[in-house]
Amino acid sequence: MKFENRAPAEGINSSNENPLIELAWLLAGSLGVIVVLVIVVSLAAQWIAPRIPYRYEAKFAATLPSFATAPNSDAGRLVQSELQELADRLAARLDMPDGMVVRVGYRDDRTVNAFATIGGQTVFFRGLLTKLENENALAMVMAHELAHLKYRHVSAALGRGVAVGVILSVVSAEVGRNAAGGVLGQAGVVTLLSFNREQERAADEAALSALHAEYGHVGGALDLFDVFARLPNQQRDPSVPAVEFLRTHPLTANRIAAIRQWAVDNDAAIDGPRRPLPPGIAALRKQ
Amino acid sequence: MLDLIEFGLFITLLIVGFFAGTIVEKRHYASIRKREGEYADVLTFAVRFPPDRVTPQRAFLVHGTVVISSDYFKTFVAGLRNLFGGRLRTYETLMERARREALLRLKHDARRQGAKLVICVRFETTTISTGWAASIEVFAFGTALIPERNSETNAALAFGARSATPA
Repeated sequence: MKFENRAPAEGINSSNENPLIELAWLLAGSLGVIVVLVIVVSLAAQWIAPRIPYRYEAKFAATLPSFATAPNSDAGRLVQSELQELADRLAARLDMPDGMVVRVGYRDDRTVNAFATIGGQTVFFRGLLTKLENENALAMVMAHELAHLKYRHVSAALGRGVAVGVILSVVSAEVGRNAAGGVLGQAGVVTLLSFNREQERAADEAALSALHAEYGHVGGALDLFDVFARLPNQQRDPSVPAVEFLRTHPLTANRIAAIRQWAVDNDAAIDGPRRPLPPGIAALRKQ
Repeated sequence: MLDLIEFGLFITLLIVGFFAGTIVEKRHYASIRKREGEYADVLTFAVRFPPDRVTPQRAFLVHGTVVISSDYFKTFVAGLRNLFGGRLRTYETLMERARREALLRLKHDARRQGAKLVICVRFETTTISTGWAASIEVFAFGTALIPERNSETNAALAFGARSATPA
């Protein structure tokens, strides 16, 4: 027997392939899988969440601080009660889910916005109220927010958020204690930010029909979008988990066109007498 | 904004990891190949018993150990690879370098003590950390033999022939 040592073989135990190519394939593959997974799960959660009876959402909302608050002043409480009164009138026209009690909050803040959130709550900002010229326009915003509540869009958004959050945390844990998890997480969040047009359209339609039932015409909706068309840049408060009125805005012009189309389809008057704003809200404009 | 900074940091680490890791790896391979030539006269085998007709005068344990770390890029690619399975190519070069380096250090140890034949060579691997940069230790050990000088074969082994023909 002849014993000898030979030079180790090259290229058998390791590969000369450029690792950048491997990185490109792996990144494309994993991002693709995650995007698909997030879309599928968020659609599923979005479908399931509104079908969970409202009483469970109410129970959960009761564990959180209330959004339906007002500034601690007579003027603030007056505005809140006027908003609440309008909300109650419109809710009666909207056929809200069983057991949902609508509550309205008011914030003394110059943000031009309003939002609906869990537990049948909506919140209005002073910034928005000072832009509105009559009750009809205000009723359009209110009815739109109530429609989000009626269709359980808030629970859909929350369900989606929770489901996607769970997936992303599992993926990050799985990929391991390195940066890959972080990168994949980012991809999932970006995916989450799209989807709301259909919900906005549905809310607009329900709001129009409530407006028509309440005032006999939908002029308030046109007034409202006139106001928005004149606004410079639409702001949103990212800290509030909510379906906001101005978020994802299907372009204002399209929404105006959709209102006119809805009026034609439903044989509703586009114009009619406007009701003045309630005194407390009207007083905000004079400040 | 914070996310952007985090992402920028990540990309920077990835690029640094890739270039630094590539340079380090190329240099290490070059050094390994060069020293493998230099230590060609120290023979290492995995057999458990001395070749026939080699009568050891002395036998003792020799070893070589190396601790080697992955870089950010390799670890990241390996992390993604863990999702799909398959060859962890970025770690294969790491392990190969570590084993060859450990064997070279074993040969160095053997030569330092006057031996040119090591049998029963074995490897052990220890994971030192699995964090964002995995590190491993590879330990090579074997039994160095110094044969008697009373035969041609033994003389060849003792005085550093490139190969031995004991049988």
